[in-house]
Amino acid sequence: MASDPTSLPSPSDLSIPNPSPTEEERLATLNLEEPTGNHAPIPRPLSNGSSLSADFDTGNEIEVAEEELLGDSTDLAEGSSSHGGGGWREISEQDGEVASCSPSSSGYAGERGSSGASSGIEEVDDGVALQDDWVPGKRHLDEDDASVSWRKRKKHFFILSHSGKPIYSRYGDEHKLAGFSATLQAIISFVENGGDRVKFVRAGKHQVVFLVKGPIYLVCISCTEEPYEALKGQLELIYGQMLLILTKSVNRCFEKNPKFDMSPLLGGTDVVFSSLIRAFSWNPATFLHAYTCLPLAYSTRQAAGAILQDVADSGVLFAILMCKHKVVSLVGAQKASLHPDDMLLLANFILSSESFRTSESFSPICLPKYNPMAFLYAYVHYLDEDTHLTLLTTSSDAFYHLKECRLRIEAVLVKSNVLAEVQRSMLDGGLHVEDLPVDSSRRSRSISPQMTQENNISGSRPPHMALGGPAGLWHFIYRSIYLDQYVSSEFSSPINNSAQQKRLYRAYQKLFASMHDQGTGPHKTQYRRDRDYVLLCWITQDFELYAAFDPLADKVSAIKTCNRVCQWVRDLENEIFLLGASPFSW
Amino acid sequence: MRRGRGSPKTLNGVSRGLARALVAAASRRQDQQKRLGGLIYNLQRTDLDAGCTVDQDVEWLLGIGVFLIWNHEKLDFLEFLQYLQFKTLDVHIFKICIFDLRRGQHEGQELDKILFFFPMEAPFSAQLSVIGLCEGIITFTRIFSPEAACEVIEAERHSYVFYEAEPDIWMVMVMEKSKDNESFWRCDALRRILKEVHYLFMMFHGSLRSLLEKQPGGELARNRLYPFVLDYLTDFYVGKKLQMPSFRDSLRERGTVQTLTVSREVAIEVQSLITMLGYSCIGNTTCKSVILFHDLLVSTTLSPEDTTNIYTYAVLRLTPQALSSSTNSWSYLLKGTSATTVAVGFTAATGPVSDGSQQLSRDASSAGQGQGNNVPRPLQREKWFKGKDGFLTTDIWGAEVGSLVPVLPTVWLRETEENMCLCIYQHKNLTVVILIPACSLINEQGLSLAKQQLVENAYPKILNVEEKLSRGWGGENSYHVSGYRYLVIDGDRHISRASPPGKVTTLAKDSLLTLNKLREEVDLEKLRAQRTNPEHENDFEVCIRAKNNAWVIAKVTRGKELHMVLEKANETLLYATEAVEKFSNRYCEGAFSSD
Repeated sequence: MASDPTSLPSPSDLSIPNPSPTEEERLATLNLEEPTGNHAPIPRPLSNGSSLSADFDTGNEIEVAEEELLGDSTDLAEGSSSHGGGGWREISEQDGEVASCSPSSSGYAGERGSSGASSGIEEVDDGVALQDDWVPGKRHLDEDDASVSWRKRKKHFFILSHSGKPIYSRYGDEHKLAGFSATLQAIISFVENGGDRVKFVRAGKHQVVFLVKGPIYLVCISCTEEPYEALKGQLELIYGQMLLILTKSVNRCFEKNPKFDMSPLLGGTDVVFSSLIRAFSWNPATFLHAYTCLPLAYSTRQAAGAILQDVADSGVLFAILMCKHKVVSLVGAQKASLHPDDMLLLANFILSSESFRTSESFSPICLPKYNPMAFLYAYVHYLDEDTHLTLLTTSSDAFYHLKECRLRIEAVLVKSNVLAEVQRSMLDGGLHVEDLPVDSSRRSRSISPQMTQENNISGSRPPHMALGGPAGLWHFIYRSIYLDQYVSSEFSSPINNSAQQKRLYRAYQKLFASMHDQGTGPHKTQYRRDRDYVLLCWITQDFELYAAFDPLADKVSAIKTCNRVCQWVRDLENEIFLLGASPFSW
Repeated sequence: MRRGRGSPKTLNGVSRGLARALVAAASRRQDQQKRLGGLIYNLQRTDLDAGCTVDQDVEWLLGIGVFLIWNHEKLDFLEFLQYLQFKTLDVHIFKICIFDLRRGQHEGQELDKILFFFPMEAPFSAQLSVIGLCEGIITFTRIFSPEAACEVIEAERHSYVFYEAEPDIWMVMVMEKSKDNESFWRCDALRRILKEVHYLFMMFHGSLRSLLEKQPGGELARNRLYPFVLDYLTDFYVGKKLQMPSFRDSLRERGTVQTLTVSREVAIEVQSLITMLGYSCIGNTTCKSVILFHDLLVSTTLSPEDTTNIYTYAVLRLTPQALSSSTNSWSYLLKGTSATTVAVGFTAATGPVSDGSQQLSRDASSAGQGQGNNVPRPLQREKWFKGKDGFLTTDIWGAEVGSLVPVLPTVWLRETEENMCLCIYQHKNLTVVILIPACSLINEQGLSLAKQQLVENAYPKILNVEEKLSRGWGGENSYHVSGYRYLVIDGDRHISRASPPGKVTTLAKDSLLTLNKLREEVDLEKLRAQRTNPEHENDFEVCIRAKNNAWVIAKVTRGKELHMVLEKANETLLYATEAVEKFSNRYCEGAFSSD
């Protein structure tokens, strides 16, 4: 941003205009409750005139996967019926169904009054939280570090300032956690005073991971047994999410006043963080550092890309059309590139904030990998219930221009039937391991639109009967290194409830960390067998394949199946990937 | 030996009381300086005399002051300064501390917690800082994990490895990461060092808690710990540097025993020898025995844990290789490269010392002389000698009152909780450790009688066994399997077998690093399995094709572990699988074969 151009990193040669509010002013306005105007660059998506902190409701919000909801011991009844649909997203969707069964009236769990310590413990231990009417955003506000239930939470996240002031805590009221926060600060600075920096502490299955980002300290306390690298990556993303809301210039506030209380600046954004934290247990993008696309016929995606490109040429920095978390098309201005992590954080911000859904919004956001110091301005509009268009610009007064752009885009998308195709693809789902072609003669199929029929067939088979793909293949993720994109198969039996999906997700996460060891990685191949799975990973210059098989799967046929999966994905790449628009290789 | 002039004498005259006062003053800096005025002056003089560069910090002086407590004026001060000068080389690389959280609860008494700290000359502020951090983290992690204690603190420049040796008595090893890209290690390997030294300590001295209960001031425990741990550390010296196990030692497993495989015929001979040793030594007392050939275990009648302790001690100090300490054992326990020069004893050294282990041993001797009477130092080097009668003797435990006959060393067995006398007979490369119940040996006569009986009865059998073992002995590379670099561990029986260290060194650094990382993962996986369902067999398998094309493999099945590196191997996973299968069938009785 313009107040300090020299401090701008220069990932692009984009010249950032000099919009009126300076950095300090912006930060100062961030905690304003009243919007400054409908279309002015206001700190949050406030187009409907109210701030985030006030108007959440559980309504249609579906991202409600929760640590406890997915507890290993819980077999979701609803889970077994999940098939087809949106792949990894299903976890949260189906939990959303679970949650929405129970009435909930208010935005905050804290308002429910007594979620006493004892019931809390049960939730943690056996995941009985299903009946708990659960809402996005902060929960268990009545807890603090003295509560047994709080101590037993599986995964805590904290943001605090270098003076020990709490900024964010996943569970419990930050104010009540001031003492605990000071303890964390004391540990970090004690080690720092010795000329060192603490990375993690391990005790049994508990791991405490520390991340220091200038005056901001981030801590995760987890007993999920995820690898250190994974937890550290999650803290990095949380920090990124914070920057997306505030930019890195918040550091200056700490330079001026080390005891600066930052938590008001993030007021009302609990829901953004809790949604990101939930993504850490279902969204592979959080560790793959790649994004995924909605499967579409090549021509359909081309049509969407063409109109976005048209807009990008008229001064829009990035134009992103997404359906939920999946990209439909994406276009950047010349030489501007969008990092997959920025896309993840931006999508999370948009999808978790209810107010974006209700009307068009214009909101300052920062893309931390693109330029952590400066705000961009995001015009966000939902074209239908799931499909949203985001136009990013450097200009704070481009609202009307972007609105025009959106109208043009929307008209073209409707006219060319893209939106309908998107909806259909959402219903059809993506790749099913059961459909893995047996031999090369069937290779040339496409998944859409011809495949729709077949998919319906596969979708109509009783889900409990399906036994995965050939050779005991249960699931796979294919990541194209060149494209920064991945595709993952739909879940099929027996990975058919959220607990199993989460377990598989964690197994992949571990495999990924093992393959990408900082010192010696990336390795070329890995075969791993335990009680739950046979996992195979194969990394080449072009792609990474992660595949999960039945633990009794035969090695030889598993390897053959992996080769077939790669061939299959390559045959379908026109439809499952966004080609020619690799955001990182412009 | 050089003697300082004037001022060292003054210093050597510093009484225990004064040194205590110095410590007490540690928290009040101004006060300190007043009280220390004279001492500082003298130290500075000495410093100049000795030509050493010594930190003038008051806290450092306090460190010396307390050092003097343990040395009771017996230490030559110049020598001490030389030691300090030498120590600055590795002072920061490695630390071990042992502390008791039940002690020093009140402010100002924190030093009381410390039972051991290495390096000894670290200022108290530094010692307290390390222990303060450890204690803080222990308390902190208990908030979330009351059942499982803190295991490790990983920082950018240091690793802190925790081991709760006895309830509330913690041992922590602090490793500094150097910039030479060699600082990769496995926490569990380091924890096994702490465990090993504690087990050995218990075997000779009993538990720390019992020592602390016997003498609540803590001096008894400290006086035993200091020389013991310092003597133990001498085995980790490579030249001037203490070298702890790193990723290069990933194909070894401390705390396990390496066994010799013998033919059926020899096994019968060995069995008959064991039976004889068990019953015929002293009347109707049952003795236990552990027999080693070179550094390999031939037989044992002890529990796996006690066997490991006796075996470890034998390999460190008793085997022919250990006795001729100019060439270190090639055993897995020791660094193959570690070459300790012939010792020159405590008083013989003149001028700068060249070998760290000697110096440590010297510290140990000075530390061991507290309380006026000598503390036995079972791990002291070059203290065992082979007599003409084939028995090993030592004066470590002193001599009988009024005679020159050495006191027989006793050890405490964990399994039976009884004290046993160690009687060691050595014939060529065969070492026979006989453990006689201590209560049955009333006097020295009883012992010589036992020895006589042993020679009379068992000698022919010992000769016979030694001859047969020698004939079948393939040398130190006998367990090399061409093309494989491996480690097999039988966790239940505390037994391991591995490629000879010399062969492991041919592996590329990247292979070893990958292996180290994989072993770390396996360690965590094993712990996880123990926590989640201890009854269930936890079988798993990982095969990694590393960047350098080596296959790095770990397989855990029915309590046994196989770790393997195949460097010149085909690229297909099936090839690697087949290689494991072949190895398992041929050398592990199919323990790791898939069927």
